[in-house]
Amino acid sequence: MNGNNHSLVQVPPGVQCFVGQEARVRRAIEEKVVGVFEGWDYEEIIPPLFDYADVFAGGDLAPRTYSFPGRDGSLLALRPDFTSLLAKIAAGRLSARPLPLRLYYSGEVLRYEPPRAGRRSELYQMGLEHLGGPRVASDCEVLAVAAECLEGLGVTDWVLALGHVGAFAGMLPEAPLDPLHLQKLRDRVESKDPEGVAEAARAAGLDARVSEGLVRLTRLAGTPAVLEEAEAALQEFPRARAAVAELRAVMDALAAAGLGARLAVDLGEVRGLDYYTGLVFRAYAPGLGFEVGGGGRYDTLLARFGRPMPAVGFMLGLDRLALLLERQGLAAPPPLPAAEVVEPGASAAALGRARTLRGQGRRVRFGGTEGR
Amino acid sequence: MSLTLALSKGRLLPGAQALFRQAGLAFPQDEGRRLIVPTDGLRFLFVKDTDVPTYVEYGVADCGVAGKDVLLESGSDVYEPLDLGFGRCRMVVAGLPGGLDYGRSSSLRVASKYPRLAAAHFQARGVSAEVVRLAGSVELAPVLGLADCIVDLVETGRTLEENGLAVIEEVAACSARLVVNPASYHARRAEVAALLQRLGEARA
Repeated sequence: MNGNNHSLVQVPPGVQCFVGQEARVRRAIEEKVVGVFEGWDYEEIIPPLFDYADVFAGGDLAPRTYSFPGRDGSLLALRPDFTSLLAKIAAGRLSARPLPLRLYYSGEVLRYEPPRAGRRSELYQMGLEHLGGPRVASDCEVLAVAAECLEGLGVTDWVLALGHVGAFAGMLPEAPLDPLHLQKLRDRVESKDPEGVAEAARAAGLDARVSEGLVRLTRLAGTPAVLEEAEAALQEFPRARAAVAELRAVMDALAAAGLGARLAVDLGEVRGLDYYTGLVFRAYAPGLGFEVGGGGRYDTLLARFGRPMPAVGFMLGLDRLALLLERQGLAAPPPLPAAEVVEPGASAAALGRARTLRGQGRRVRFGGTEGR
Repeated sequence: MSLTLALSKGRLLPGAQALFRQAGLAFPQDEGRRLIVPTDGLRFLFVKDTDVPTYVEYGVADCGVAGKDVLLESGSDVYEPLDLGFGRCRMVVAGLPGGLDYGRSSSLRVASKYPRLAAAHFQARGVSAEVVRLAGSVELAPVLGLADCIVDLVETGRTLEENGLAVIEEVAACSARLVVNPASYHARRAEVAALLQRLGEARA
């Protein structure tokens, strides 16, 4: 099947190719977003495309990582995300730098993905990490940067849905649950399925009080007013309440900065529980069925690389942003002015004339297209 | 623009119609072959039952009515905030009477319209199962020796009985669910919350 000619025509599933105007749209989005990152004094990192597979082995992306043996027999992997790479660089090469570190990236990541809604093997991500800063203040900063990116791109009616993994984790008993039961429980909370949560809690042997609390999480989503309801509902769970209080501090600060109308609460957001340790958030906008980006706090990752420190970050998907802007009918970059045709002809002076025009900043097409 | 709701004209239609009327929400009359039907409140999208989660996951529909059986099989990333209470049935493993000892069979062949769900069920039990995907008349498979057992949806159990099959174990209880696209849930939360509340009250 994978004969010679076949592979020279067809494309492997999950990859993308952009031509002309499509590429210009993506460049324009990237420039805008990177401009916001730099405006908040984040410094660019261009990390390697591949590294030792161990670097990426910590998270839930490990099973979806393309890995291959290197010449010396070590196992290498194409980067499935940027955060682990940035953490490694921050803990290693940048270890002498004073904290906090503000770093950003923009580039492709590669993952093995079965083709599904909005998921491709090759994704273009733009994101940043705020490393070693104070908890609430850096959470707020990162959210403000995310908000400015969406504002700057002209996205309409966007929403940042904020949660805190401590609301879920803080209700569970101290003794760790069986991983399969925990996974089922998270999956049902994430789906906002109250009956499913109750059933999973029963299967995990949790008592009625915890089960009720977890079922409530499926409904604790909506306007910031939900936080008051959450504080009352989670009264019996001090750790969960502390998490909600921390989330409230972040939301209050953002509201005071004029972002109140853009915020939503989602305490059922528990997808990245292995990785995130505090605030989690996702950005949504009408017109796109899935989030355009998201992030959160991950205070334990840096310890893997030998430099424990708190950290928070987020990323926006360029592919999804481009689709969203197209669906919302937002202005693509203006077309370039028409190029002046300089015919090479027989005259030796033609190239010189083209160079002169270029020197004046004009667009030149050296030799017209036949048949046009 | 009003919210778009996907549903199928199959098994769950009468229950959905009754519940929406009860909630005082507009519901299309018999619309013949029209697939997109705007009403006063919602825009209805009539699609195949197994496609409802797909339309909702991609955000083409903001919400939908889908059986739990379909949701279990699809594994789509959608919210399932409301059990609508109708269309109750059971997902079961069934086979010829005389039972089936998972412990004794080194390999099991299972016929099902729900191949993902069937595979996951036996995998979780540490049973190595070969799943044969069928599109209908699944009850025939154990009778004719195509499979050792089936995983299928059972409402009354009459079809099983008439074909000489018995329930071996229940996999899941199923009913109709209101599913919601995560982006719509947050970006159009006022409309979604109003719909959830009205349907939730009508169900109670």
